Amino acid sequence: MKQNYIYAPALTSEFRCKVPLKETRQLFIVNGKVQGGKTPFSLRLEEGEVMKEMLQIISVRHKSYKEHLSTQQDFNFGKGSAGRIIQCSHTFSPDKFRTTEKVTITLERDASAEFYIMQNEHNNAEHSTSYEVNLEMGASLKMVFLSLHGGVIRNDILLNFNEKHAECDLAGLYLTDSKQLMDNNIHVNHLVPDCTSKQLFKGILDDEGVARFYGRINVAPDAQKTEAYQANHNLLISDMAKAYTSPQLEIYADDVKCSHGATIGRLNEDELFYMRTRGIPAAEARILQQKAFAYEVLEKISNMELRERMLSLVERRLRGEFSHCSTCIRNCC
Amino acid sequence: MNNDNIMLKIKGLKVSVDDREILTGVNLEVRPGEVHAIMGPNGSGKSTLSAVLAGKEKYKVTEGEVLYEGEDLLKLSPEERSWAGIFLGFQYPIEIPGVTNVNFIKTAVNEHRKRKELPELSAAQFLKLMRERMAYVDMDSSFTSRGVNVGFSGGEKKRNEIFHMAMLEPKLAILDETDSGLDVDALRIVAGGINRLKTPQNATIVITHYQRLLDYIVPDYIHVIYKGRIIKSAGRELAQEIEEKGYDWLINGQ
Repeated sequence: MKQNYIYAPALTSEFRCKVPLKETRQLFIVNGKVQGGKTPFSLRLEEGEVMKEMLQIISVRHKSYKEHLSTQQDFNFGKGSAGRIIQCSHTFSPDKFRTTEKVTITLERDASAEFYIMQNEHNNAEHSTSYEVNLEMGASLKMVFLSLHGGVIRNDILLNFNEKHAECDLAGLYLTDSKQLMDNNIHVNHLVPDCTSKQLFKGILDDEGVARFYGRINVAPDAQKTEAYQANHNLLISDMAKAYTSPQLEIYADDVKCSHGATIGRLNEDELFYMRTRGIPAAEARILQQKAFAYEVLEKISNMELRERMLSLVERRLRGEFSHCSTCIRNCC
Repeated sequence: MNNDNIMLKIKGLKVSVDDREILTGVNLEVRPGEVHAIMGPNGSGKSTLSAVLAGKEKYKVTEGEVLYEGEDLLKLSPEERSWAGIFLGFQYPIEIPGVTNVNFIKTAVNEHRKRKELPELSAAQFLKLMRERMAYVDMDSSFTSRGVNVGFSGGEKKRNEIFHMAMLEPKLAILDETDSGLDVDALRIVAGGINRLKTPQNATIVITHYQRLLDYIVPDYIHVIYKGRIIKSAGRELAQEIEEKGYDWLINGQ
């Protein structure tokens, strides 16, 4: 594996994971600078190489750092290689700041990869990330976005199927409250036949939180046997929360399976009453309902330990506990 | 007034939904150890009565009172009523995708224990209790890991209701049309579970349209409700009479 960093986690106790996931290597990017390596970060897996350990890339903005940050990360998976990546963004600065990131992901023939993206900053943080993904013959990619906390979080995802028989599973869970804004823009280009894409994005919006979802699927004229599915579901917890959803399908081939579904709804009152008649207090019943709603995305996480941690983070966030801890060593992943 | 041995006392209860009066003056007294059956044609107010007792919010009580163990029941929230020992078995149990049956009932049991100042059950204790109570209604363990009522058949849903009841051990169980949609075998299993849970200290109100359920669950009293009030109360022999003659003779005798 060619990677342009060597990491020794000596100085970073402040934001280190208390308990790193088993079989996970950690890499820190502090204020945009790769620790112990070259900036910008890049990773290439050679042909047939299989990463045994998960690589966790933790981007941290330090307390004193308020400047606009612009960073890049490039991932290149060679033929038949496989790997799993966790990307986390955190901050210890409560100040207003802006971060823009560019991430490129290329999977060569028969490569497979999983990306788990954890977005967890605060109400003054504005974080935009653009992903450009290119898939070659038979490649298989999974990306799960967990947008837990941020003033403005924007994800632009451009996914190109460049060769046949590739597949991509995109999923996202976003939680907004106060006046947070979540913006997901997804463009999936089926340029060639026989590829499959799935999108599942779900959001829970409280207070005056706003979510926008724009999902576009293009199926080119000769991209026959394409399968493309898209779903966006929003749960409004307060009367002031807003969700805008815009599914767009442009299909120029005639032998395809495509679907889209978008909903904006509230917690189900009948479920709530049923739970209360069994002695589950209303507030607890609402948390159970929201966890159940979120679980469909979380169960995409194949590593059980990571899934459990994410579930507990989501639960704490839903209980409003997460926003309170400003100094803790975050038990993120 | 001697309320000593009365568990539930309903006095002149009038209830409206969206300004339409559904219950027009219900009186009923239930004592520990008793089984009451409430019968009546469709739309007579049976399900409304059960929902009001369990605390469904859209029902407005306009007159009358309900005392449970001498206290005003109507001021309690649905969960407080559950903790106090009231259980409602739903005619149409609700499906909750994503919440497993085991997590659901575990949360419920531990919330009950919290109010009794008992420690939470350990995983092993809970599992043991759950297995024992599932056997009351012939449920196999595959039901526990599935979403609450999700993909359950009509009979399985009703068995799940009785399983919940067995876990929560209520003092007063109100079973709303527990027999609807059941075949004979399922009916026998469900009724067997209910009978098994009967003690001299607890009481049961079964709401049913048909006499059929009462072949398995023998009531002490039968009440016929019509147009929102009880028009006839009698012993268990009334069920047979209704089976033979229908409700018309009672309704026309008004």
